[in-house]
Amino acid sequence: MFVSDCRREFYDLIVTQRVLLLVASDVDALCACKILQALFQCDHVQYTLVPVAGWQELETAFLEHKDQFKYFVLINCGANVDLLEILQPEEDTLFFVCDSHRPINVVNVYNDTQIKLLVKQDDDLDVPAYDDIFRDEEDEEEESEDESDGSEPSEKRRRFEEEVIERTMKRRQRQEWEARRREILFDYEQYEYHGTSSAMVMFDLAWIMSKDLNDMLWWAIVGLTDQWVQDKITQMKYVTDIGILQRHVSRHNHRNEDEENSLSIDCMRIAFEYDLRLALYQHWSLYESLCNTSYTSASLKLWSVQGQKRLQEFLADMGLPLKQVKQKFNSMDMSLKENLREMIEESANKFGMRDLRVQTFSIHFGFKNKFSASDIVYATTSLMENIEKEGPETTNFIKALDSLSRGNLDKLHQGLDLAKKQLRAIQQTVASCICTNLVISQGPFLYCSLMEGTPDVKLFSKPVSLCLLSKYLLKSFVCSTKNKRCKLLPLVMAAPMDVEQGTVIMVGIPPETESSDKKNFFGRAFEKAAESTSSRTLHNHFEMSIIELKTEDRSKFLDALISLLS
Amino acid sequence: MAAERGLELVRELHRAAGGHLPPFRTEEMRQALEEMRALYERNQADVSEAKAGRTDLIFLIRFRHCCLLRNQRCLLAYLYDRLLRIRALRWEYGSVLPNTIQFHMSAEEVEWFNRYKKSLATYMRSVGGEEGLDLTQDIKPPKSLYIEVRCLRDHGEFEVEDGTTILLKKNSQHFLPRWKCEQLIRQGVLEHVLS
Repeated sequence: MFVSDCRREFYDLIVTQRVLLLVASDVDALCACKILQALFQCDHVQYTLVPVAGWQELETAFLEHKDQFKYFVLINCGANVDLLEILQPEEDTLFFVCDSHRPINVVNVYNDTQIKLLVKQDDDLDVPAYDDIFRDEEDEEEESEDESDGSEPSEKRRRFEEEVIERTMKRRQRQEWEARRREILFDYEQYEYHGTSSAMVMFDLAWIMSKDLNDMLWWAIVGLTDQWVQDKITQMKYVTDIGILQRHVSRHNHRNEDEENSLSIDCMRIAFEYDLRLALYQHWSLYESLCNTSYTSASLKLWSVQGQKRLQEFLADMGLPLKQVKQKFNSMDMSLKENLREMIEESANKFGMRDLRVQTFSIHFGFKNKFSASDIVYATTSLMENIEKEGPETTNFIKALDSLSRGNLDKLHQGLDLAKKQLRAIQQTVASCICTNLVISQGPFLYCSLMEGTPDVKLFSKPVSLCLLSKYLLKSFVCSTKNKRCKLLPLVMAAPMDVEQGTVIMVGIPPETESSDKKNFFGRAFEKAAESTSSRTLHNHFEMSIIELKTEDRSKFLDALISLLS
Repeated sequence: MAAERGLELVRELHRAAGGHLPPFRTEEMRQALEEMRALYERNQADVSEAKAGRTDLIFLIRFRHCCLLRNQRCLLAYLYDRLLRIRALRWEYGSVLPNTIQFHMSAEEVEWFNRYKKSLATYMRSVGGEEGLDLTQDIKPPKSLYIEVRCLRDHGEFEVEDGTTILLKKNSQHFLPRWKCEQLIRQGVLEHVLS
């Protein structure tokens, strides 16, 4: 059931208890976790934190800890499946689910005792009404009792006939109701999308309790930016949420405007910026950033020779010398840096890039440390999906969690370097895929498969990196193709995951359109296709549109998918 | 002859850095004592001869005496250093030592440890009022009541005061009362996370 007063129905209940936190592996979950940890440390709530990367890990963690804990908080996992059925908990266990995955499973919504959903009610949820889906099973029992009474044969026969008619009518009604129920559930669960970021929900809780800090606000900003970077929410929602956060930012950071009372340079401050959309440009050179950001690379078509020429024209139009542009951003001439944003915006409009600037926030502490929210998102994502094995998977999670604290700048810089490598790898792969026409139209969707020998293919065995790659590939493909129909198709992307075990990771993303509502139907489609071909698939990720399957089953799975969707 | 075995024992302790307690070398100890006894007996014999007139033996007697003193010094240093290490173990591990370490101690050292334990316990009981004061807790002044710890390796279940248990698995993070975690932090199972 939905929790209306977060503080009374959630926080006050657990503040005297020991809690188990199960946190999914994405940046939004990490940020929400940090905020909640800060609140818990403030109030001395004893907790245990266990990172989980998929459904199997969630189940294992639950089984291990269920004897010791009664209160479980799930962050960014668990809302879109029937939790009680999967975990089979005891009667007195209580789950608090703070998840941005939608649609929320109806059992979770209508369970009054064990599952509490920390979800903002103004997210358009469209949950079907209770009576449409659930029905009490009392009517069946009454009919069978009436049959044994009655003495006279003719009366009995008449009553018997009446009862038969009644029963057939009731059965037909039941069948109609069931058919309608199936339809309603199908419509409700067909598309996957995302709601408000969990980090923002947690920040809201902190604000209600007047325990919010600038640090927590920054984490909420990073959580929201993660949703935007991974293209999980619509532009409208992003702008609305930015507006909400901006009010908090001005509340916490107003002391800088006043010249006399401004804070020391070492204090942390957050500023709203109408910044360029170029990834990591302040920690890289402007040229590299232009080449490796999907928006500019796709609009200028940088994989072709024409595109490179156009990039040179673009730079010349702005009056930026190549030598300046290719060196580190911090070492560029001050005169060039001062009006950079306006200059770029003007020239970008001429070249067809109207949305080069985006509303975002940046953090500033000390003389050297200035980071934009998207920088942190890229750095943390690449730390979490670092393929250099320094330990089991969870050490990457711990490293990424640490890098969000301001004291661990070395980890953050390591993350930035990894992010640069990742972005470069993505752009090169996209360029090669488009130049070699690896993206083929299969009818209802586009399909692209990475071969084993492709450089950096190991980077793409991780779900978030593969999703980023597919989104950039789709954007670039849409800009490069002349076929009008292909521009509106969704994309399915496959990459080798584990060569020894012969598995492939497959991702499905919705089509790229201006006003797309980011609703993804591949989750259900993959499930149905796997069932119908009995392929050996593993639906382990919390996003239903990411699956793993055996390489041998790939072709029959794809055929089933094509026939399902056409 | 010139206290080599004694020196070996001292060198071994010197190499075992960081308070680590190597096994008690009964055999070398016995050999060193044997050597001392042999030297002493020869010295006794020579002293009686020297008294009888052979004054050129005095230098030899003096040399042997120096060897004896050196042996004594080495052996005493060895024994005393081991006792100091065992004493530090009480502060680090608590009153029950793990079996591996007990294996390295000789019977006398075990007895000494028990007596030290008793003496420390009596003292702690006499300090802090009625219940006594546990001096082995909070060796550094604590900054907060609860601390955030990260588990570095699988340790299994860990019992908290009110009877509930926590499963310490690798890479899980916990927020626990400080005094519960101190032992484990010292043993290296948990790591204090500063954020």
